Amino acid sequence: MDVKESDLPGVGKKHEVDIGNGEQLVIVTHNTGNRELYLKESDDADSEKLVELSDRMARMVGTILEGAYFQPVSSDHVETMLTEGTLLEWYAVEEDSPLVGETLVSANVGQRTGVTVIAIQRDGEVISGPAPTTTIAAGDTLVVVGERESCEAFEDLLTGDL
Amino acid sequence: MADLLAVGILFAAVALAGVAATASNKSVIPFYIVVGMVLSPSVAGEFTVGGYGLPVIESSEFIDIGAELGIVFLLFFLGLEFNLDRLLASKERIGAVGAIDLVINFGAGLLLGFALFRDPLAAFLVAGIVYISSSAIITKSLIDLGWIANDEADPMLGTLVFEDLFIAVYLTVAAALVTGGSDVTAAVTSVGIALAFIVGLLALAHYGTPWFERALQTTSNEYTVLRAIGITVLISGVALAIGVSEAVAAFFVGMAFAPTSHTHDLENLLEPVRDTFAAVFFFWIGLETDPRLFAGVAGLVAVAAVVTTPTKLISGYLGGRAYDLNPRRSIRVGLGMVTRGEFSLIIAAVAVTGAGTSLSAEMANTIYAFTVAYVLVMSILGTVLMQYSAPFERFAVERFGDSA
Repeated sequence: MDVKESDLPGVGKKHEVDIGNGEQLVIVTHNTGNRELYLKESDDADSEKLVELSDRMARMVGTILEGAYFQPVSSDHVETMLTEGTLLEWYAVEEDSPLVGETLVSANVGQRTGVTVIAIQRDGEVISGPAPTTTIAAGDTLVVVGERESCEAFEDLLTGDL
Repeated sequence: MADLLAVGILFAAVALAGVAATASNKSVIPFYIVVGMVLSPSVAGEFTVGGYGLPVIESSEFIDIGAELGIVFLLFFLGLEFNLDRLLASKERIGAVGAIDLVINFGAGLLLGFALFRDPLAAFLVAGIVYISSSAIITKSLIDLGWIANDEADPMLGTLVFEDLFIAVYLTVAAALVTGGSDVTAAVTSVGIALAFIVGLLALAHYGTPWFERALQTTSNEYTVLRAIGITVLISGVALAIGVSEAVAAFFVGMAFAPTSHTHDLENLLEPVRDTFAAVFFFWIGLETDPRLFAGVAGLVAVAAVVTTPTKLISGYLGGRAYDLNPRRSIRVGLGMVTRGEFSLIIAAVAVTGAGTSLSAEMANTIYAFTVAYVLVMSILGTVLMQYSAPFERFAVERFGDSA
């Protein structure tokens, strides 16, 4: 994903985010803290203003976009970059996953993949810092931290795709 | 009229000017000036409504000093938002658009000024007046029209950055020349003192950052504001006392604060202070203007508008092209840069201080009235051109094509 940052002297900063199809999302951050969101339909088009947000509103909307309030579990997994190369991912456990019925210890998740399961979402509740003896059930969502390769290995293990 | 009442009327009047500007969707600066003119003795003093005189505001020490503070804070903010690293990072492009803008507009201004006034100093002042575009009005229009998110914003803001730096040096020289009188030795001496003072301030801005950082180290907004104002106004006052432009001193103090961690807080905290005194400054400009002089300068203003609108269109267009923009966006850059405003007025305020010494009183007053009328015309013209840019864009596309 391509993000271009430029200074607007006396105003603030501008970020242009390439969102595909030649469209760009332009975010103007004023020195006052206000954010203006513009959509630019093509390279040549004029920016159309979508919305203006106060600093507080912008942060709130930002956390919603980031998924900190609500994770859409319908998608297979969602990733968030913690630092360069380290991911925080959500994995849905399907009925046919070889991990169903296993515990974190018996499946030897940490040793085999290198990821750490930091939470399990189950029936709308979150088991944070699950004990190693917690049994994984179909329908769980596993919240996992690890390097990108480790996460990929974990995904293979989860889907039985070894 | 009692002083507090006069000041109350002043602030109520500029507040109403803001209402009118919002309602008509125009820049507020010409409204401030007009309100000042209307309440001046030369207008309001001449009329009575139903046997009652209109409120007249005489120029007073408070308004004079308030206007001075307006200049100081306008330039302080310019310095505060001026980032040398940022300028150096894109120095080639900003240098290119700035040089195009300078050569065309300052050059045309020199010729125009000499043709109109037949005096080298007057030509130098007119050159500055028609060269400098209005950062305040242009930036606001960019935001209002949403152009801020488009590519044309880059060359426009880049040009303004260059102009701001140039005007700091220019004001130093202009103030020294105007106060130095017609004697060459005296003029050279005062320019020398001014430049030495500026070099001192530059050194302060460059090496003083840790001190400025510590000076504002407090958790109280109250103390931050007071310390910043204390430092800025004191140094500006010293500058003026030794015959150096207070505006330039304020610019460099702002620049000294820019690299500290307080920049953002200062901008938030001092913006209302700046806007308050800037309004007093524009009001004062109107107050000091005798509209009867407008009749005498109408021809000059018309000539200047006819000459200096196209020069900005051309320099802006070429600047846009230098930023690899297509003709349509480049012409927008030109349209936007037409607006002149606060800095032209600051130069005019410098010019009147030379009345009777370096300039004849009549010429100084003519330049002053000319500038006020010119800024009224150009600030409105520039904003209108930006609002109705479509026909110009069509022309540019037809004439120069559609590709970058």
